Amino acid sequence: MSTARELPVVGPALDRVDGPAKTAGQARYPSDFDAPGQAHGALVQSTIAAGRITGIDTSAAEAAPGVLAVFTHLNVPPLPRGPMTGLGVSPPAPLRDDRILHHGQHVALVVAETREQATAAARLVRVGYASVEPVLDLDDPRATTVDDPWGLDSERGDVEAGLAASAVRVEATYTTPDNTNNPLGLFSTLAAWDGDRLTVHDATQWPSMVRETLAHVFGVPETSVRVLSPYLGGGFGAGLRAWPHVILAVHAARELRRPVKLVLTRPQMFTSVGHRPKGVQHVRLGASADGRLLAIEHRGRSLLAAEDDDYEPFAAGSAVAYACPNVLTRDQQVRANVPAPVSMRAPAHAQGGFALESAMDELAQALELDPLELRLRNVADVHPALGLPWTSNALRECYAVGAERFGWSRRPARPRSQRDGHWLVGQAMAGVSYPWYQAPSLARATVTADGHAVVGGSGMDIGTGTYTVLTQLSARLLGLPPERVRLELGDSDLPKAPQAGGSGLTGALGSAVHDACTKLLDAFLDLVRDDPASPLRGSAPEDVLAADGGIRRRDDADRSETYDAILARHGRRELSADGSSTPARPAELGMAPAGAFGAHFVEVKVDEDLGLVRVSRLTTVIDGGRILNEKTARSQIIGGAIGGIGMALFEDTITDPVSGRIANATFGDYLVPVHADIPAMDVTFVGEPDRASPLGTKGVGEVGLVGVAAAIANAVHHATGIRVRSLPITLDALL
Amino acid sequence: MRTFEYVRPLDVPDALAAHAGDTATAYLAGGTTQLDLMKDGVLEPARLVDITRLPMRGIFTEGTALRVGALTTMEELAADPTVERRLPLVREALLLGASVQLRNMATIGGNLLQRTRCRYFRDPGVAACNKRAPGSGCAAVTGPARMHAILGVSERCIALHASDVAVALVALDAVVHVEGPEGDRSVPLTEFYVEAGTRPEVEHTLGHGELITAVEIPRLPETTRSGYLKVRDRVSYEFALTSAAVALDIENGMIRDARIGLGGVGSKPWRAAAAEEVLRDAPPGPAVFREAAEAAVTGAWTVPGTEFKVELAKRTLVRQLTTVSEVAP
Ligand SMILES: Cc1cc2nc3c(=O)[nH]c(=O)nc-3n(C[C@H](O)[C@H](O)[C@H](O)COP(=O)(O)OP(=O)(O)OC[C@H]3O[C@@H](n4cnc5c(N)ncnc54)[C@H](O)[C@@H]3O)c2cc1C
Ligand code: SF4
Repeated sequence: MSTARELPVVGPALDRVDGPAKTAGQARYPSDFDAPGQAHGALVQSTIAAGRITGIDTSAAEAAPGVLAVFTHLNVPPLPRGPMTGLGVSPPAPLRDDRILHHGQHVALVVAETREQATAAARLVRVGYASVEPVLDLDDPRATTVDDPWGLDSERGDVEAGLAASAVRVEATYTTPDNTNNPLGLFSTLAAWDGDRLTVHDATQWPSMVRETLAHVFGVPETSVRVLSPYLGGGFGAGLRAWPHVILAVHAARELRRPVKLVLTRPQMFTSVGHRPKGVQHVRLGASADGRLLAIEHRGRSLLAAEDDDYEPFAAGSAVAYACPNVLTRDQQVRANVPAPVSMRAPAHAQGGFALESAMDELAQALELDPLELRLRNVADVHPALGLPWTSNALRECYAVGAERFGWSRRPARPRSQRDGHWLVGQAMAGVSYPWYQAPSLARATVTADGHAVVGGSGMDIGTGTYTVLTQLSARLLGLPPERVRLELGDSDLPKAPQAGGSGLTGALGSAVHDACTKLLDAFLDLVRDDPASPLRGSAPEDVLAADGGIRRRDDADRSETYDAILARHGRRELSADGSSTPARPAELGMAPAGAFGAHFVEVKVDEDLGLVRVSRLTTVIDGGRILNEKTARSQIIGGAIGGIGMALFEDTITDPVSGRIANATFGDYLVPVHADIPAMDVTFVGEPDRASPLGTKGVGEVGLVGVAAAIANAVHHATGIRVRSLPITLDALL
Repeated sequence: MRTFEYVRPLDVPDALAAHAGDTATAYLAGGTTQLDLMKDGVLEPARLVDITRLPMRGIFTEGTALRVGALTTMEELAADPTVERRLPLVREALLLGASVQLRNMATIGGNLLQRTRCRYFRDPGVAACNKRAPGSGCAAVTGPARMHAILGVSERCIALHASDVAVALVALDAVVHVEGPEGDRSVPLTEFYVEAGTRPEVEHTLGHGELITAVEIPRLPETTRSGYLKVRDRVSYEFALTSAAVALDIENGMIRDARIGLGGVGSKPWRAAAAEEVLRDAPPGPAVFREAAEAAVTGAWTVPGTEFKVELAKRTLVRQLTTVSEVAP
């Protein structure tokens, strides 16, 4: 049969298969769905950050036109917390009690006939509070801390000895602010009960998890819950949890016996669906005079909600980024009265990469060594902790190709040595080693009597191109033109697939699709095994390949048959096969599974008087293993890099230091890059198919972001001689 | 649900009558300020008088001035050939503001009356805001206040008047034409706005119910060079951290006349008269520009988040004076 090994290393740039539907407004996003007889919800949120509710007066709201119910902690029974998920605990149940743990906490849900009525009535809910001084700061002595939250703290060798033996040492502290995921699509939930059956259209990146959560919370079997998320207006991690507002909408729908639709407002998106938490990192590096790393110490602290968890190991990635005998990483979280953080595109690595790759630049400067050369001298050619060879690693090629394309050799070593009118010009770079992540997945492939294929799993396309790459893959594996393959995604009734997150879905679901397609061909061969009318009779899988809408012998192109012909002769309307994939186990492989690698080369211009920073060039080279589709993969890298530019220069969720209120929770006040902030971007893929999976892909959804902020900070230093260790880099730091 | 009455008169007397100075009534022009604040629950008028059908649109030459109808949009004014040739500072201030979609809706009258972007003002969930609820205090002075003002402010209110074009217009001595129940009057723009002072809720001298009908912009002499510089974190679609509208008349190596407006710094669009004084009859050059910039920001009142603006405003002005003085006349 056709195998993944026969796929090109960089797949053709098929246009998005969902592009026409999206541009014509036919792709339906979660808030586009309506149910007959639906009511509308609006949330009331706390205006203090810590304390208690002393009273809620809902009478005016209840009397307002169209209002059906007002839910508060006084009338909502204790709901169980959602279950443990593959990414950690579920958020605490909503409206548990009278305690306020953060500004913006939901304190009531008003449900009315129309959204406008619900919104107006929500303003009539009067909440009395007894406020206490909130903990908002990483350094607040009252805060409780969590050490080594994920068991990822690591130590090898002896860092103190390594530092003592180093000819050159650098030590610095880096800070990163809260960032908010801010998908463009407002998150929404439409919940409809039919007896014990529940259907939910939800803005989720993980339909199967929401299904499990709702079944658990509302005490119904998983099979009676269906969660749909066929299209999503972005997520960036915000859709990886079943948030309290989802639970509230489902609860209200059950109580009112009618569908309830709840769409968050933009300000609510800043407090209800997570954010990248702020943090501070301390890095010590030591190296020999010739630039060999002898010690890496990386300590990170990040802010955490009072009673929730978040995966944010800033420092852990530094244990495997470079070949270095002495390494210590420590992570700590600090509990505060802040909304729950969540994984935001490249969680932890975005922040950790900023600190480590800034420190590497500082080390290069201290060594008077070219920063690229410093990285090259310390490439981890084997996995530095496991000592195993990588399943793939083209980091050296990333550096070489990037340097060539960027023109690195023309870069003067001395900072503040280039100008263009008022602009000081600088160039710098950063390297990225992104971790490997994969979850198990199921998938199903079906060929119908008309010779079309339907392929799918419950995983969803967050907008990255999953529909497209899996269409391409299935078409190739089944020997069908892409137009004859339809993908079904984003529906928890489909075979269970993991979240669109962690750069792992293409690998997991793609491998399961690969398995399903392989098994489907086997099933066709089974059907014709003893079929005297079939030219394929008696063929084994290795004798055939899929082509031209059917199967043909490798040794004889004339011995072939189309799927529709086989199905028709056997009186079958369709034939299906289920596939699965499981993550590779390093011990069995004898290799260390590799994530993506990359290198960013950046040029910035800094106005010498006004401190304005503009990114003028960006060259990125990525080893993402096998690339299924050049175009969608490139878009992922570009999108990631733009996120990196946003993180470096703009994004900053500001919490009022007195009230704990987010002070810039609108798109007018929370800055993300606009088109004019983005230079032409040069993206190249290098490397080979990865050996950890049959498909050979490595995720490309996040790696494009990591390291960009460091490369920009390093370039700002190269342009101006000023080292900025706190993000975002705004002009005030450069005046 | 909060309901309101909506009327759309066709001429000015009807509009004035429909408004009648009622405190619960508001005019509606492009709506880019008014409707935003209503959605946020900051303004809750019982009646909106839509003025967009009134005959107050268009740009006419009157002697040495341009008369701009109050309903002229920002895009229309920026596209006017006279503005393009003779008032580059106005055109640049307009085109660096908001986005093209907003500029197609936003009117000049509405622009002058736009409300502050202070996020504490714009969130009724915040109790302390002297501008929204007089006497309640100011949450911004202890908050992160990067987008706030440093001139004409006090601990009672540090809100910024964020208009760009108004900065150019105060520098040009534009005149606002007003019609009200008592008849017409005209007010120089420099006297139109009031500093935050002790009553931050009072922003200008327009009576409630009075209509701005037109803005008269004196044309600059042929020999005057001018321009607008807007400094902000991202390249477009953001309010100014600082800005400078500058017009210079340079003759025989001497500055004969200087007009300077500063944005991003004032509780009102800031005319920097003291800086103009320094420049007048001085030769252009770095030293005198710096001296003018120092004069421009005297009296600045800062909180930790706005401290950087003092230096940034000076550098912005120096840069723009340099740029404009180097433009070929
Ligand atoms: C996202 C965003 C970004 C922006 N960026 C910028 C920027 O960078 N620079 C900038 O300068 N501005 C900016 N603005 C502000 C924008 O320019 C103003 O909102 C706009 O000019 C207001 O004009 P309007 O016609 O929409 O006024 P409206 O919203 O209709 O009215 C504003 C106020 O003026 C009153 N009013 C309007 N016309 C009259 C009249 N003729 N007589 C009496 N009263 C009247 C109304 O009652 C109301 O109180 C931005 C706005 C937004 C929403
Ligand atoms: S600065 Fe002015 S507008 Fe802002 S909160 Fe203070 S008083 Fe209100």
